[in-house]
Order: sequence, then C-alpha cells, then structure tokens
Amino acid sequence: MRCLLKLLAVLFLGCFTASALTAHTQAKLILSLQTARAGDSVLAGIHLQMEPAWHTYWKNSGASGIPTTLAWTLPAGIKAGPVQWPVPEKLPPDDFTTYVYQNEVVLLVPLQISPEAKAGVAGIKVHVEWLECKEACVPGSADLLASLNLGAEQAASPDAPLLAAWQKRLPESSSKLVAHAAWEKPAVGDLRPLVIEWSGAGIGEPDFYPLGSDAFEVQGETERLPSSGGLFRLRKQVKRFSGDWPAKISGLLVLKTPTGIVAYETDLSSAPLAPVANPSATPESAVSLTQPLWKMLLYAFLGGLILNAMPCVLPVIALKILGFVREARSDPRHVRKLGWVYALGVLVSFLSLAGVVIAVQAAGHKAGWGMQFSNAQFTVGLTVLVTLVALNLFGLFEVNPGSRVLGTAGNLAAQSGLAGAFFNGVLATILATPCTAPFLGAALGFAFAQPVPIILLMFAAVAAGLAAPYVVLSWKPAWLRFLPKPGAWMEHFKIAMGFPMLATALWLLNLTTIHYGDRSWWLGIFLVMMSAAVWIWGAFVQRGSAGRGLAVVIVILCMAGGYFGILEAQLHWRSSPDSASDTRVLAHAPEGYAWSPWSPEAVAKARAEGRPVVVDFTAKWCLTCNLSVAPAFASKSVVEQLQKLNAVALVADYTLYPAQITAELARFQRSGVPLVLIYPRDFAKPPEVLPEPLPYPASYIPVLLGALERAVR
Amino acid sequence: MKQLLTLVATLALVGTAFAAEIGKPAPDFTGTDIRGRTIKLADFKGRIVVLEASNSDCPFCANHLKTGALQELQKEFTAKGVVWLMVNSVNPRNSSHRTPEQARAEWDQEKLNATAWIDDSSGAIGKLYGLKTTPHMIVIAADGTVAYSGALDDRPAPFGDPRTARNYVREAVTQLLAGQRVLVSQTKPYGCAVHY
Repeated sequence: MRCLLKLLAVLFLGCFTASALTAHTQAKLILSLQTARAGDSVLAGIHLQMEPAWHTYWKNSGASGIPTTLAWTLPAGIKAGPVQWPVPEKLPPDDFTTYVYQNEVVLLVPLQISPEAKAGVAGIKVHVEWLECKEACVPGSADLLASLNLGAEQAASPDAPLLAAWQKRLPESSSKLVAHAAWEKPAVGDLRPLVIEWSGAGIGEPDFYPLGSDAFEVQGETERLPSSGGLFRLRKQVKRFSGDWPAKISGLLVLKTPTGIVAYETDLSSAPLAPVANPSATPESAVSLTQPLWKMLLYAFLGGLILNAMPCVLPVIALKILGFVREARSDPRHVRKLGWVYALGVLVSFLSLAGVVIAVQAAGHKAGWGMQFSNAQFTVGLTVLVTLVALNLFGLFEVNPGSRVLGTAGNLAAQSGLAGAFFNGVLATILATPCTAPFLGAALGFAFAQPVPIILLMFAAVAAGLAAPYVVLSWKPAWLRFLPKPGAWMEHFKIAMGFPMLATALWLLNLTTIHYGDRSWWLGIFLVMMSAAVWIWGAFVQRGSAGRGLAVVIVILCMAGGYFGILEAQLHWRSSPDSASDTRVLAHAPEGYAWSPWSPEAVAKARAEGRPVVVDFTAKWCLTCNLSVAPAFASKSVVEQLQKLNAVALVADYTLYPAQITAELARFQRSGVPLVLIYPRDFAKPPEVLPEPLPYPASYIPVLLGALERAVR
Repeated sequence: MKQLLTLVATLALVGTAFAAEIGKPAPDFTGTDIRGRTIKLADFKGRIVVLEASNSDCPFCANHLKTGALQELQKEFTAKGVVWLMVNSVNPRNSSHRTPEQARAEWDQEKLNATAWIDDSSGAIGKLYGLKTTPHMIVIAADGTVAYSGALDDRPAPFGDPRTARNYVREAVTQLLAGQRVLVSQTKPYGCAVHY
C-alpha cells in the first residue's frame, strides 16, 4: 500500500515541471532566491513567453479573453500573496479594447516563509491557466514546479535580475498623485460619461485602464480634455449592465511618455464634482464658471474695448488718431481701408497669439496670459521700443514711412498707409497683453479650458473690441466732423501723447526689475544715452545740413557704447537670473494686516483652526492688482473687518509664474491674476471666488466687505 | 466642432452598442443559412428568438460544444417553440471561416440542434446587433423587443462543465415563456472577439 502511495506521489509530482510548453507559449516558474531563511520573503514569477504577436491577458482582459489564473500548492509554512500585474498594453480598436501582454510577461507573486519553517527543500507548485490569442485563441495550462532550499543563509537565484526588471514594470501607488472622477452628465440609456482628472508631473498621453466588473464596463475610447499644465483630464464612457451607477471605479492612471509608460493604481470615487463657486451667494458675487458662449464672447469684446483705455494701450491710440487725422484730409475710401487694415492687424496679432497659446497648450506647458513678459529680453526690447516712440512723439526725431529711414522696399511709399495701419494694429496688441483687464479675466479663463475653435473665437472677439473705435470712425467719416481741425494743436497733441508713452516705458522698466533686480537701473542709463543719440540723429542728421557725417559717427559711437558698455557689460541683458519658482516672495502683500505666503497647506491649517481664509493672487506686473486689490485690502474698513474675523490672509505671488500657482488658478478656470478667494469659516463650504475688480480701489472695498461678512454667516 | 464630432462619435458608439437595446424592438434582418434558405427575423413574429454569435474555433464556444451543453440547451428550447439562430459572422479571409459545405459537415459532426445556422460572413447581422464576442447571446421576446443581451452564462472558461454555471439565457427564456419580466436583462459578454 505504501509503495502504491509512493508511486502515486511520484506520478503526481511528475506532472509538475519547471517549465511547460503549449501551442504558442512557454511557461516557467521562477524564484528570486534559491536558498532562503525562515521568515524571508521570496518573490515568485510566472514567466510566460509567447510566440511573436501572441498575447495573454491582464487582470481585466477587456472586451474579450480571460485573465491568467494561478492556483498554488504550497508546503506548510509558505503563503502566497496577491498577484502583482505589470502594466499591460492596450490593444485597439476602441469599441473592442483588450488589455494584454504581448510576447512576454512575468506575473509577480510575493511568497512569505513563516519563521517556524523547517530547513529542507520546499516544492513550490502552481497550476496556471491562461488564454493565448493572436487572431484565434487557444487556452493553455501548465503545472509548474520550482524548488526552494530553506537553510541558514540567503542566496539569490539566477532569475533574480529578470524578476527585478519586471518589478519595475509594476504600476506605482496612487499616493503619489491626486485624482478625482466625476460623472459629467446624467446617463443616456446605459452609457454615462465620466471625467477623470489628476495632477502629476510629466508630459505625455494620459489614459485610464479600468479593472473589470460584472455590473459595468468602462469603454476603451479615451477622450483627452483640454487642461492647463500639470493637470490631466480625460473622459471615458461607462456602460452599466446592472445595479446603480458605480460609486467606485478602480484601475490604472496611465501616462504614455516618450521614454516609456508610467502607471498608478487608483480607486476613484465617482462623485459629482463639488461646485467651486457657492451657488447660494448673492448675485454680484462669483463670476460663474459656466457662462454661455455668447456672454463670454461679449465679455471678450468689451474687454477688448476697455483695453483701449488701459495705460499700456492709450499712448498707441495717439499714434492711431494722429495717422487718422492726417488721412482724414484725403480719400474717405482710403480711410475706411486703413480702418479695416488696422483691425486686420489687431486680429492677426490676436489670432497668432491664440495660435501660440494653442500650440503651447497642446505641448502641455502652462500657458498663461501675459507670459510673454516673463521673457526678460522681450521686456527690455519693448522698453527700448516704447521709449523711442515717446521720443518720436516729443519730436526728437522723425519716422517717415517710405523714407530711407525705414529702409524697406520702394513700394512701401505707396503702401505706407496700409502697412502703417497694419503695424499699428500689431503694436496695439503687443502692448495690451499684460493688462488683463476686468471681464477679460473670466473670459480668458473660460477660453483656456476650451477647445481650439473657441479659443480662436475668444481672441477674435477681443481683437474686435480693441479695433472697434478705429473701424467705426473710419466707416463714419461724417463723425470726423467731431474731430478737431488740424492746426498747431496737432503738434501739441502729439507731444502730449508722448507722456503716456513715457509712463508706459517707465512701467516696463519697473517690470525689468523682476529679471535683473537692481541692475535694471543700468537700463535706465542706457535709455538716457539712447535719447541723447536719438536727439543728435534727429537734429543733425535728419534736419541738419552741415556736419552730417560727424553726427552719424557720434550717434553710432553712442549706441555702440551704450549697447556694449551698458547692456552687455553692466546689465548682462541676455542672461537674466533664473526665475525662482518661489511662492514665498512677499513683495506685494497689502499693508495693514499680517499677510503670509500662500500654500495649500497654509489654507488647510487655517481652515482646520476654524478661521476664514482670504487668498490674494497677485503679481508685480498686474496693474489691476496693484491699483485696486491691494489698496482695497489696505483700506481701514477692510483691515478692521479682517482683524475682527481673525481671518488668515495669504498672498500668492504670481510674478514669476510658479507652477503651483498656475495649477491653482486653473482649478478656478483662470489663466492670470488678479484672483481673490475667500474660504468661509465653515469647513464644508467651498471658497467664494470674488468678481474681477475694476481699476478703481474704492469700488472693490464693498465687494470685499460683503464677501467677508458672508464668510462667517 | 470638436464637441460635434464627439457627439457624433458617441452616437455612433451608442448606436453600435445599442442596436440591441433592451426593451426596444429588435432590428429586422435577412440572412442566408448554410442550407441556402433565406431567414428573416420577421418570419418568426410571435415567437421567442435566441441569437447566438458563434465560432467553433473559439475555445469558449468549443468547450460548450465539446461538453454537449450547448446542444442540450438548443434542443430544450426548440422543443418549446423557441427559434434558435446561430449567427456566424467570421469574415471569409479568416482562418476560422466555414464555407457552407464545411458548416454542414460541422453541424452533423457536432449534432447541433439549432433552428438554423446563418452564414453572416459579411458581418451585417453581427454589426446590426453589436455582437462583440463568441459566444454573445441575444434573446428576443415574442413581441419583437430585445429581452436579453450578454453572456451565455456566468462562467467564462474554455474548459469545465458549463452545466454547473448559472445560465442567463435559460433564465431569460424560462421567464419569457412564463409570461414574466426578464430579471437579468444585460450582462457583459465573454469570449473571443468576433472576426468581422
């Protein structure tokens, strides 16, 4: 009898082999250690090697196939943990998606040896069943065996490197990212869209590989949704077979980067997204985040109109009006044409800006309105340009279109009017960008989260607003009657317009301090030198008769000396210090109250203490912030209220575009500053997003007081 | 524009998924069976119709046939007046394709008890009903509405005895024959992909 039993045992064991070969797959059981001690953990791997183009399946096989299954037969004292699945490959088509391992996979299983395990040879056995498919499918199974010595020392097995390599292909834990999922709309039949978003580093194509379920199926198609930097958003359709719509969907958040694939395991709770703006707030509060398109386009148009009044645009109107006045005496049709060409110039500049935004958005970078000015050299160049324009307006030199001074093609003389009108439009656009005016803020924030055609529409609307006055005037020549007749006043007007230009140049000079710090006063010196050179040019070269040659030489020496001696040597204008992404710069905290640097942790800490929180997103270059918001916060009544409520005041300095603040602004659908948030005392309530301030400080004080009062209701 | 395209794509997806929408009338079709007869869904008005997306090369279907479980189910239902149509949508270039002669030979070999085996190598019927896997089962009630769409049973495995599994098609047909509502009307179908 015992012989029979022994025979049976041998036969039974003989069924298990180290590796098995089926139709298209070779299966092997490998271990990370060949000798282990009691209490050790050993990593076991089921190594499946398929013929080329044959695949086996992930733990969610998708629309067809079945996952590989394992059944362990382990000696006493050894326990097997759950299977760890490396990140699979997603096979198209979208309406029949499967998640597979092509050609090769090692499924990892941790084995735990108990501390009481006895020394000897342990037979680790596993029964594996799988489905291998190329076009047709063939089921496969194997009984695999591996031996593990239990002894006093630990010895790695030759398969350890292979196991380590496949361990690297396991998904990471989701504690490294913050992910949300929300149902976008009610269901249509049995299909409902789910929006998944997560923030993380890296650039690539995001996707979500769901785990399987009997009650529902996440479809294969992934739609990427627009988002700003650091945030990935996608939409998946979920099909329900039975029961309620799932409250929890588990799976892998995947990012396909140029260098490989990164995946995170996650359990998403699919709640509806909590509204960011408090909907029960009074009508004049938060600019709603879901405005209809026509309203946003109207705001964009109005924003463009108002941009005409901004200090960074107003001086250019001087140029426009002057040209207009000059042309008014000639052919009215030509005037109309000039009007349209000016509008065209503005439109083309805005659309090319839109193109840049779209390109940058597509490249996955953070694109914020006004970001051109983070380019130090751009700012320097613009300062110089604006100063030259001011000097021209003062009459120090002339810019005659078509003359040798411009030095472009000969036919510029005939087209001078049109070319001038076009480039006036372009200049107006360039100067308008850092002034994110009221209405524009919300409109642009809306636009940046939108698909390409809407962005183009938004930019076109702003362009239309900016160009509107000129076009209107060029079409209604009758209204020229209201324009004053030419005379000596024109020259006075021209000089007077030079002063807003000079103010703009000074403001730009102030901006360069962001990049060059104290060194930017050298730029001021350069501008003075340049002014002198320009005067010499105008007085002695353009208008002078004798000594022209000498004058030219002096001008060249001046400019060269200025450039090399100052811009290069002192300012080092081509190498600005690295923009620090330091969110702790407190340069612009309003006065009168204790402001601290903003961080998400600071907000959470303050809310946990039960105090209302005020967050002021501001930047050195933001005009509205400095003209309206800061003075309003510094006003007596607001400071008193802040003290009374024991509010925590945090300032988020966006001057150098730190990534964390860009992401935070994007959460509230804004692309730039100003933004003021008031978190109520009640921890459960979401923050109130205050409306855009008008550039008059007095107007913002009642808004702040009202919001602060609501925060503690 | 992008939203419009998305809407169209979603509708298309919805369309393909819901050609067999539970509770809605089953779309009519015309097909030819392996014996050259023309089969129309409208011919079977007033009777319960079971559609089976099949491909005997798929290990899941092969197991149902090998164990005889599928043939028993077919016999059980056709005896009660249910129409059982096998729909083979494998395209002619695929190695699993069966010409009518081969299909007839297989019919005899496997002792099939269905009402007819429709040669759907063009894929028209399969796509009309959104048949995704083999086996994928559709049960159409006597009033012409789709009563069940999904898996044959709750045990996706290419081996073992399917008789031990919970058979959704048997449940649906039994409930329909008793004049009751089908309780489980939709499940996720398993199997190999249909080789359109």
